[in-house]
Amino acid sequence: MSAHAPAAVLSGPPLIAVDGVNKRFGPHHVLKDVSTQFHAGQVTVILGASGSGKSTLLRMLNRLETHDSGRIVVDGTEVSDDARQLERLRADVGMVFQQFNLFPHLTVLDNVALAPRRVRGLSRADAEARARELLERVGLSAHAHKHPFQLSGGQQQRVAIARALAMKPKVLLFDEPTSALDPEMVKEVLDVMKGLAASGMTMLVVTHEMGFAREVADRVLFIDQGRIAADAPPAQFFGAQQDNERIRAFLGQILH
Amino acid sequence: MNRLLSIWPARWTRQQRSSATMLTASLGLVLILWLITVPLAMAPEPIGNNAQLFAEGTRVTVQLTLVAGLIGVALGVLAALGKVSRIAPLRWLAAFYIWVMRGTPLLVQVLFVYFALPEVHPLLRMSEFTAACVALALNVGAYNAEAIRAGLLAVPKGQLEAAKALGLSRWHTFVDITFPQAFKIALPPLVNNIVALLKDSSLAFTIGVVELTNAGSQVKSTSFQAVPVFIATALIYLLLTTVMTQISDAVERRFDFEGKLG
Repeated sequence: MSAHAPAAVLSGPPLIAVDGVNKRFGPHHVLKDVSTQFHAGQVTVILGASGSGKSTLLRMLNRLETHDSGRIVVDGTEVSDDARQLERLRADVGMVFQQFNLFPHLTVLDNVALAPRRVRGLSRADAEARARELLERVGLSAHAHKHPFQLSGGQQQRVAIARALAMKPKVLLFDEPTSALDPEMVKEVLDVMKGLAASGMTMLVVTHEMGFAREVADRVLFIDQGRIAADAPPAQFFGAQQDNERIRAFLGQILH
Repeated sequence: MNRLLSIWPARWTRQQRSSATMLTASLGLVLILWLITVPLAMAPEPIGNNAQLFAEGTRVTVQLTLVAGLIGVALGVLAALGKVSRIAPLRWLAAFYIWVMRGTPLLVQVLFVYFALPEVHPLLRMSEFTAACVALALNVGAYNAEAIRAGLLAVPKGQLEAAKALGLSRWHTFVDITFPQAFKIALPPLVNNIVALLKDSSLAFTIGVVELTNAGSQVKSTSFQAVPVFIATALIYLLLTTVMTQISDAVERRFDFEGKLG
């Protein structure tokens, strides 16, 4: 196990509890009776073939997708349709998207400062001060006044990470954060994510970056045909003694 | 037609050039309304001796366009929101309004507001100018609604997801994220509608509003010189639409966050 998830933290109540969750898209049964828990300080990488339901699982945690049955509890609050509760919950659960989804009409600084002002009630000055700190942290202070279209994909994704961090979330969800990037830009985003993991941030990461999973994750979840087919530390998951046929096939496809 | 936008120093930002253009063109419009009597008075008969009437008609035409245009944009936003609302009766109401206003002639609408509404209820009796404004606003509002609705639908789903994921309320999502982007997309068709409105305001003639076309017509019937009268009338319309296009270009430029217009 890695250094940033001490056993004491894992033994406390989970930050996120998923219990018997099902999800269907029409006739397609995407998630089947999924139960798992995520603890504060833990970095979990979720792997699986496309269509396996891994992104759906992630997006159900802040209700960008609804679940058909079962219970999801985040930091003591059950995820439901109650609008007020949902806004509070989402404010505490940051998300980084595959397509960045920066607001094109706002400057980089405003992208980061908007939600703290509107949701947390920060003054413009305070929100901008925090935004500048975070842009500094992701190495983009020089670009604060620009609009998103003036940045490269990697830079945009780093702004998106800063935007999520500005809400001081309890957990950060990453939905394939590097999949839309040119290869030479993947590293700058992964480096920021590694820094976050080292700082103790709770992270759930859907990705195909096996190197990141191996190096940074405390735990690897493998989703196959709507079920959690494996839940293991990376050393064990990627180890030579991996005897699950489907995982071996998946890894074989990804790594070659 | 050259754009006023391009005359500003290159080192000015897009915002500055846009503001300068809007300011200059708006001042230009005010000057036209204020001073148009001067060049008109210098024109030969029958324009020169009727300069006051032409000037007054021009002012009324611009007033009609501004009042009906502003109300029409507000109506357009409301009807567009109604049409994408989750509440079914609001959707029906908006759809009915758009269906009726786009499906019947503007001339009939003008006549209906002025002549028929007072018979429906005495409180709906309006002056000629007010009735024309109401009919024009209702009409352009329906067309604006479709333009704004198209803009609302064109905002990518990822924008709403990002706003949700940050915990923004529905209100802030609309005001800060959806509407600015939708409005930008809707701007060119909106401008189109407002320019059309300026020309359509000539239908106020039929209920006796002395706007530009009516003024020209009156001069023609006293002077019997149709050619110079209607050339002058058309030239004034052309001047007004040109100034309006300059303003709308600048507005479009202001919303061009992505520098697509160069």
